[in-house]
Amino acid sequence: MTEALIVRGLSKTFAKPAVSDLDLTVHAGELYALLGPNGAGKTTTLRMVAGLTQPDKGEVSIFGVDARKEPAGAKALLAWAPDEAMIYDKLTPLEYLEFVAGLWNIDPTTAKARAEELLATLGLSDEARRRCEGFSRGMKQKVALAGALIHEPKLLILDEPLTGLDAAAARLVKDMLRARVDAGSTVILTTHILEVAERMADRIGIIAGGRLLAEGTLDELRGKAGERVGGGTLEDIFLQLTAEAA
Amino acid sequence: MALFKPASTPWLLAHELRLTWRGAMAGRKRGAVGSIIAFSVLGVMILIGGVFLALGMRGHEVPVQPLSITIAALALAVILTLMLSTALAGAADALYVRGDLDLLFSSPLSPRKVLFVRALGLAVSALLWFLVPAVLLLTPSIVLGHPAWASVFVVLIAAALAAAGVGLLLAMALFALIGPRRTRTVAQVMAALIGAAFFLASQYRNLMGEKASESLFARIALDAKEGRITLPPLADLPLRAALGQPLPLLALVAIGAGIFLLSAWTLGRRFADAAAATQGAETRKAAKGPGRAFAAGAFRATLRKELRLMGRDAALLSQVLLRVLYMLPLALVLARNAAEQPAWMLAGGAAGVAFLAGQVAGSLIWITVSAEDTPDLLALSPTPVSVLNRAKLAAALIPVGLLLVVPVAVMAWFQPMAGFWTAVGSGLTAWAAGMIGIWRQKPGKRADFRRRRASSFLAALGELAVTMLLGAATALAVAGWLAWAPLPLIVAGALMMALRRTEEQIAAALRAAAVS
Repeated sequence: MTEALIVRGLSKTFAKPAVSDLDLTVHAGELYALLGPNGAGKTTTLRMVAGLTQPDKGEVSIFGVDARKEPAGAKALLAWAPDEAMIYDKLTPLEYLEFVAGLWNIDPTTAKARAEELLATLGLSDEARRRCEGFSRGMKQKVALAGALIHEPKLLILDEPLTGLDAAAARLVKDMLRARVDAGSTVILTTHILEVAERMADRIGIIAGGRLLAEGTLDELRGKAGERVGGGTLEDIFLQLTAEAA
Repeated sequence: MALFKPASTPWLLAHELRLTWRGAMAGRKRGAVGSIIAFSVLGVMILIGGVFLALGMRGHEVPVQPLSITIAALALAVILTLMLSTALAGAADALYVRGDLDLLFSSPLSPRKVLFVRALGLAVSALLWFLVPAVLLLTPSIVLGHPAWASVFVVLIAAALAAAGVGLLLAMALFALIGPRRTRTVAQVMAALIGAAFFLASQYRNLMGEKASESLFARIALDAKEGRITLPPLADLPLRAALGQPLPLLALVAIGAGIFLLSAWTLGRRFADAAAATQGAETRKAAKGPGRAFAAGAFRATLRKELRLMGRDAALLSQVLLRVLYMLPLALVLARNAAEQPAWMLAGGAAGVAFLAGQVAGSLIWITVSAEDTPDLLALSPTPVSVLNRAKLAAALIPVGLLLVVPVAVMAWFQPMAGFWTAVGSGLTAWAAGMIGIWRQKPGKRADFRRRRASSFLAALGELAVTMLLGAATALAVAGWLAWAPLPLIVAGALMMALRRTEEQIAAALRAAAVS
């Protein structure tokens, strides 16, 4: 099986250790949910994978490309959408997508067609030429998501992608992500909404204190949590494992 | 805060002043020592000037005569104008920038009280720029025999109150006339125009093409001294008030406080409505789409994005406009001299143009590089940092190039070599300021544009020194003393080398800044 992401011995310390000797493997074409309580090290891990934070030590490989030795090659394959939308209030969605496409060096004609298609899919066609400054948080999240998708990344990393979205928009985004995965892309997401992970993820990783506590499908996690949670929900498993680690 | 009863006017004012103070100090943490030293040196110099003034005026009284009346009236007019400029910009910020109006208006506080305190905050921030130097300058005289001069402080307070009141009225009038979408931009531009109004007025003889070099103010003062001017009624009010005469002082305080109270109390409800309207204002439709086609490649896409963002930044536009306004008389003087004088007479003007080009470029590169809104997006992309920096430098230099077209073209028309050297010198100065901005970048927010220099004292000092040296080299070249031009050029080059950072060093500095 091709691996979309291999992380080995990844560590980062700020004032105290944020991530410690983390090993993680995400298979190509799967939707992987990384769960953890606040301050568990999820965002730091994903920022290191995306090349935004320098690890103290460890290796990151994205589709076989060493992200620390060939950062540009690795970055060309991935997209990152944090919980705070990385957009410009004074640009319109179309102008923003033009800029992002330029950064990934996408052919302008292709980029424009993709931008219009993405904005239409996300229900933003009517707002395509309005500046983002008056947009709601949910609309800004959708613009940022369009930006993440415009270069059709093989690996899509999303930090709390459903924050601020209403029910309809959240469903739309979930459907889009599922469709991307079905088409062969790989998605890694973090979320505090455990039902989302339970329903959407092919595999789930639970992290706390900068260490991976457990990893696998929901059934595998149930097996690891053992008798204590029986046939419990992901929430039961999550609370059990993180309480044990605390 | 515990000193005052919660929700009372003093309590809210204390909150407002605390926010104003923290806003003023934001971005100064690392440059705080430099700022304190600079302000202290300036303060001591003013105080020394005040001591000399006190010694000189000991045993003398200021006569109430046409010359002194004219000087006092003009001084108050200039101060009032500058205060109005600050207050108008502050009023626009109060509506658009501070995000706390929803919180305040959702509380049981009356909108009138909120506006009253905010207006007082505007008055205080406009006042401090003048009150602090005035205290330093006049305290020795007050102590050494002129206690009545303390009235100057009261006059300044009255002026600040009037300026805050008029600033609010103007902002609300703009709101009613052109709506929430355009008010911020127009208010910022108006603030710049008002701020520069007296400078331009003082230069009107230059602007109108007259050959006399003295300013309008000097001319008026001379006319007043020689009795050629008839003073309008009540022109002596500012002087008499400043000298502590009770009735004029009371009159000025009544006027200032009256304007302030009138606008603060009558605009309360409207201000609340206006603030709410800014939240729900229809977003602006782009004047043009992203062209018919998307830009090809990272360089062009970044360049286009930066130019768009600069063109849509009201505060930035007003700052650049201000510099253009200050450059206007210089350009006209240059044009006239170019037509009539030998090349060496143009040297000072050419140096001025080069220096201003460097200053504008330094400001713009800060906007494009340090005030990048989404640094993570750029760091995430596979585009090399060098390509992004080149695009950002180009975006900063294009407006400078446009500003230079007129003065350089006029000079080149009459004195081709002077025009050539001015173009080369200005271009080099702008490029050097841009490179320093890239090497010494430090993440900031666009809203902190006016305080950008406080974030890196060393970079600001280096930029100033390099632009001055390159301005001097330009002047020497224009004057025809080419053999001497390499001297300042070499010193500037050495300074540039000292300030230079590699991409790795820049990245390390940015990481360190992010961690701290």
